[in-house]
Amino acid sequence: MKYAFYPGCVSKGGCPELYPAVLKVADKLGLELVEMEDAGCTGAGILSREVSDPINARTFAKAEAMGLPIMTICSTCQGVMTQANHRLKDDEYRQMINREYLSEEGLEYKGTTDVRHMLWAIVEDYGLDKLRDLVVRPLNGLPVAQFYGCYLKRPPELMVPKEFAKTRKTALEDVIEALGGVAVKSSGRGKCCGFPILTSNEENSLSMCGDHTLDAKAKGAVAMVTPCPLCHLELDGKQADAAAHKGQEINIPVFHLPQLVGLAMGFSPKEMNLQRHLVSTKPIEQRLGVEVKA
Amino acid sequence: MEVKIAIKRSNAQTNGKAISQAYSIEMDGNRTLLDGLIRIREEQDPTLAFRGSCGTGFCGDCTMTVNGKGAVACRTKLGKALKKADDGIIEVGPLKLAKVAKDLMYDAENFHWQKFKAVEPWVDPVAPPAKGENVVANDEVQDLRAVMSCTQCGLCDQGCTVLVVDKTFLGPAALTKAYRAVFDSRDSRTAERLQKLSMRRGMWDCTHCFEASEHCPKRIEPTDRIFALHDKAIKAEAGPPKVVHHYKSFAASVKAHGWLDEARLAVETEGFTNVRGLMKLLPFAVKAGIKGKHPLPYMLHKKRPGAEHIKRIFEKWEDNGK
Repeated sequence: MKYAFYPGCVSKGGCPELYPAVLKVADKLGLELVEMEDAGCTGAGILSREVSDPINARTFAKAEAMGLPIMTICSTCQGVMTQANHRLKDDEYRQMINREYLSEEGLEYKGTTDVRHMLWAIVEDYGLDKLRDLVVRPLNGLPVAQFYGCYLKRPPELMVPKEFAKTRKTALEDVIEALGGVAVKSSGRGKCCGFPILTSNEENSLSMCGDHTLDAKAKGAVAMVTPCPLCHLELDGKQADAAAHKGQEINIPVFHLPQLVGLAMGFSPKEMNLQRHLVSTKPIEQRLGVEVKA
Repeated sequence: MEVKIAIKRSNAQTNGKAISQAYSIEMDGNRTLLDGLIRIREEQDPTLAFRGSCGTGFCGDCTMTVNGKGAVACRTKLGKALKKADDGIIEVGPLKLAKVAKDLMYDAENFHWQKFKAVEPWVDPVAPPAKGENVVANDEVQDLRAVMSCTQCGLCDQGCTVLVVDKTFLGPAALTKAYRAVFDSRDSRTAERLQKLSMRRGMWDCTHCFEASEHCPKRIEPTDRIFALHDKAIKAEAGPPKVVHHYKSFAASVKAHGWLDEARLAVETEGFTNVRGLMKLLPFAVKAGIKGKHPLPYMLHKKRPGAEHIKRIFEKWEDNGK
């Protein structure tokens, strides 16, 4: 399985722990990644679609020329790209974008590129049975709450279409269980983490972060996992602020999806860059019997 | 078929406490939940309170929760609801985010009307049209007509993730109403409206998580309407300074480098002269820096290969907008 790998901005910026973890895990899974270095930011729902659609069309055209599907590692990148790709299925619109924005560079997008999040690649392309075979350090019933990131779930007709309903509705739960963990269904698992309004209304943003993490704990989870680095910036990065805002201790470690997979596949916490998290993952490492140096 | 319905009720008899009351009716599965509720009220319990008017999904009156999810009762078939019900009993309750007035009736004044009034959802033309009528382009009318098909059912607000934590947020329903006025070319108050919508608890508090669009039974796409309001406000530089800085810095960074410079974004969002704001960033920056999570800003943030093409796309877009 070979992909045009789109790492996004955050995996090399605010969450630099994610990018190297993805490369290691993908290598072990045998996913061949050809990184798209010459690809612009998706716009993340901040840039107007009038400019982000042409930028994304350019990325799609490049992957199309490589003859590869794109693999993303961020729910927001995936959501924005899927929506842009859907609009670009319209021949008239796509031709306008090609003519106005891409032709000068000699590019043309024909509308055939598939964009797949790593979570979907693992569940749909690689397969949970093969994943189970690679587990050398099972999670031993570790209760983990899944947190998808809203853009990986919505709009449902695009993100979880009928033909993928079986695999995508419970993809994270299925991965957690394939790794030997117990998937804990928190009420916020498909909701927004609060990150997008950190600038405009920090109070509400922290309330959302606090509610999601506290609910995961209340349901019995000792850790959370997310396929979205923006959710990670919020749930891990702002967790201490959310705890102060709510006036309650939280302290629940949050894993990026590839880190949890990597840990179960035998990578060390250092190889998965767990030391870079703001909420310590040490209690989980100890529980899994990973040797922790003092 | 026998249909069992458990209704969450709270009224003077229950001292305002929510209790679940079970009913059983004999009804065809193709009939609607509203039909069922009317049957219960007429034949079993005249004290049951709920709203319901047109019976065809046009008035938005009979919104409630069915099996835990927001639904319009007159568009909910009993048979289908039964299939999705736990233990063969349809669970019916009032909207979760609205204050309950009685049983299934919610306090619409606070949930809807005050917020709708706040966005002044009517068109204020500059002056009477010269030739007796204002002619509006067909595309614009088609677009506005879709928004005007909103029945004020409240399902978008019921699904909103922000309203869960802050009931004072304007919410997607009122913002969609605002869109109707802002994007009507006959209206004379666009700039003023965008400023008003930028008030605290206004349009910038939306997380654009697409819950509203998912919940809208009329497919009006409230989330897309809020995106459009954001775009228009940023173009007009209307909005709280911090938000405008944030959007502009994001665009400037992608335009210059092809991808986002997150550290620059954090600094520029606060503003170079906003010492207090910049100081607020420090504790997080230090914590993240110690953990090796700090992104490198400005000169250290490398351009992506092909960044010149991204820049060209931006310039072309900017030219098109002039």
